[in-house]
Amino acid sequence: MALLTVRNLHARVAGKDILKGIDLEVAPGEVHAIMGPNGSGKSTLASVLAGRDGYEVTQGEVLFDGKPLLELSPEARAAAGVFLAFQYPVEIPGVGNIHFLRTALNAQRRSKGLEELDAMDFLQLAKEKSKLVQLDAAFMNRSVNEGFSGGEKKRNEIFQMAVLEPLLAILDETDSGLDIDALRTVAGGVNALRSPERGMVLITHYQRLLDYIVPDKVHVMSAGRIVRSGGRELALELEQKGYGWLGLDGAKASAAEARR
Amino acid sequence: MTAALAHYLDVATRFQAAPEQASAPQWLKRLRADALSHFERQGLPTTRDEAWKYSRLGSIAEGTFLPRTEAPRDTAHLSAVVERLGLPGPRLVFVDGRLAPELSSVAGLPRGLTLKPLRDAVREDGELLESLLGQRALAKEHAFTALNAALLEEGALLRLAPGALSEVPVQLVFLTRGDAPVLSSPRILVVAEESSEATLVETYASAGPAGSAATFTNAVTEVTLGDNASLHHYKVQVEADAALHLGALHARQGRDSRFASHAFAFGGAMARNEVHAAFAGEGGDATLNGLYVGQGAQHLDNRTALDHAVPRCTSRELYKGVLDGQSRGTFHGLIRVRQDAQRTDSRQQNRNLLLSESAQADAKPQLEIFADDVKCAHGAAVGRLDAQALFYLRSRGVPQAEAERLLTYAFAREVVEAVPAGPVRANIEALLALKLPGAAQREVTA
Ligand SMILES: Nc1ncnc2c1ncn2[C@@H]1O[C@H](COP(=O)(O)OP(=O)(O)OP(=O)(O)O)[C@@H](O)[C@H]1O
Ligand SMILES: [Mg+2]
Repeated sequence: MALLTVRNLHARVAGKDILKGIDLEVAPGEVHAIMGPNGSGKSTLASVLAGRDGYEVTQGEVLFDGKPLLELSPEARAAAGVFLAFQYPVEIPGVGNIHFLRTALNAQRRSKGLEELDAMDFLQLAKEKSKLVQLDAAFMNRSVNEGFSGGEKKRNEIFQMAVLEPLLAILDETDSGLDIDALRTVAGGVNALRSPERGMVLITHYQRLLDYIVPDKVHVMSAGRIVRSGGRELALELEQKGYGWLGLDGAKASAAEARR
Repeated sequence: MTAALAHYLDVATRFQAAPEQASAPQWLKRLRADALSHFERQGLPTTRDEAWKYSRLGSIAEGTFLPRTEAPRDTAHLSAVVERLGLPGPRLVFVDGRLAPELSSVAGLPRGLTLKPLRDAVREDGELLESLLGQRALAKEHAFTALNAALLEEGALLRLAPGALSEVPVQLVFLTRGDAPVLSSPRILVVAEESSEATLVETYASAGPAGSAATFTNAVTEVTLGDNASLHHYKVQVEADAALHLGALHARQGRDSRFASHAFAFGGAMARNEVHAAFAGEGGDATLNGLYVGQGAQHLDNRTALDHAVPRCTSRELYKGVLDGQSRGTFHGLIRVRQDAQRTDSRQQNRNLLLSESAQADAKPQLEIFADDVKCAHGAAVGRLDAQALFYLRSRGVPQAEAERLLTYAFAREVVEAVPAGPVRANIEALLALKLPGAAQREVTA
């Protein structure tokens, strides 16, 4: 059974139709990449899946692990195993990174009927997982993302994913703005979390990421639809020819920009 | 004359004429009598008075409250409440406005500190009291200060000898039982002589079951800081939902003195807290902080007044409000920089977090600057929880109520963390945790 099934999904934001019939199926163990020009609706799809307010689903359905996903609150989706690494992680002054993450993990554990982790056990776990993305212990004691550099924020997202161990991870441009060393680190972290039961959706503009995290499938999104799907060779082809090659109007400029 | 005014005049007149007051010293009789005439002349304020525009007097203006005429009995069972609110160290406990000796202890009072019930001080320190009572908090200017003085009997004297230092906090606990509509009028006098330093915690709480009768506390604190003296003052007000609370603190600061006031207002149907600090010598430093947390129909009113009368003094103010339900919070901060007060450095900030559609916050900074070489800054803001942050937390699995609680605490903690780490802060943190929205919910789900 597929882990995630998206069928004919239509969604609008602020009265504007953004998603215009998305179909997507992710099986356990698979890594899918979604590419596509700026404004094509990639983050909107991620937001709808994670349950952000303000998005109206006008048609279609989403099944997660065989059960309807869209009726769940964001926290219930997280507890079910959905994780979204934000394109722009939010700074939350005054909320300690480690305290927040323990609260999140324990809330998820509670909802699964598992015992909560005490502060010591959690710290041990956090320490272990932080090595995966080489996030310095000092970051754990700071407020969530406050004053973190772009790369540190992205590493913090992957660190949280490693602690929460979701079934489905949606990474929205986790590679954007990373220098090559940071990209390697983050990709290494993600690869370490690949497993037969876990599915991943990578939203990216860059083939470069896919050199490190090799996808099973690649999709191209344009104007709210998936217009092309294929294997990893599709990403390579896009890299060479740009979106114009797919006959996407007005997409050339942004594709060129994206490759820069 | 309103019925309420007549009621309070009657209460005070009967108090002053009571046989047991015949033996009171002349100066005290005169102070009370003068205060009564000041009260009568001023009458009860209404919302038409500028200073009371935002304060809803509620049932204070209905005039049913009466002072206890007898010492409290059967207070032993209150010791559990006192333990919960209490701090290690010397303390005086008052129940329904009257001293409860069996709950009080001044054991362990450091050398150079005197802490005694005001009744004892009237007998033993008459000269000092006569020279200071009513000198900072002026009955002729404040109706409720006048009412407090007209009924002046209970309270405490804290005196620090020159150079005396105390690491242990001194605590005054005021409990109301809520089995009758009681009026309490405590008066606290603090005299910190040259280069002394101490911490005083005033805690106001209710000991009765939920749904108890309304009570009315009308407290006045007068602080005199000598040269280079330092006082850390905490006011923790966690009275019951039905309680009405008026508190006014007036401090006069000598040269190079330091005064830090931290006011936490969590309880009461209506609670108004005033802090006035006046610099009388150069080089003084005042910190006025406050955190008010309201829900339901609570009305929490905060007023500060800083009088920069002399040069080279520094003041810092940070007041934060967290308002839920239909609660209302106000902050009115007056900074007066007089003509001579060159090189004044003053900063005031008020920030409010609204947790519901119908909660309300009003901020009114008021700067009156008559000197030219000064640094004065102020700011006020009203906001809501950040929707982006809320979604971020929830998307990681934190339930909505808990996420709101985390963000609310994140907002409030700045004021809590301005309290030096130690038993006082731990006490405030625990009380805040009980007060923040969602406290009950978390306990159920945990
Ligand atoms: N809250 C909103 N109100 C109005 N329009 C919105 C809102 N959110 C997104 N949009 C619009 O929806 C479209 C898709 O945006 P989305 O962020 O999903 O694109 P994207 O594919 O992630 O782009 P990028 O590659 O730049 O991250 C854009 O035209 C955007 O302006
Ligand atoms: Mg995007």
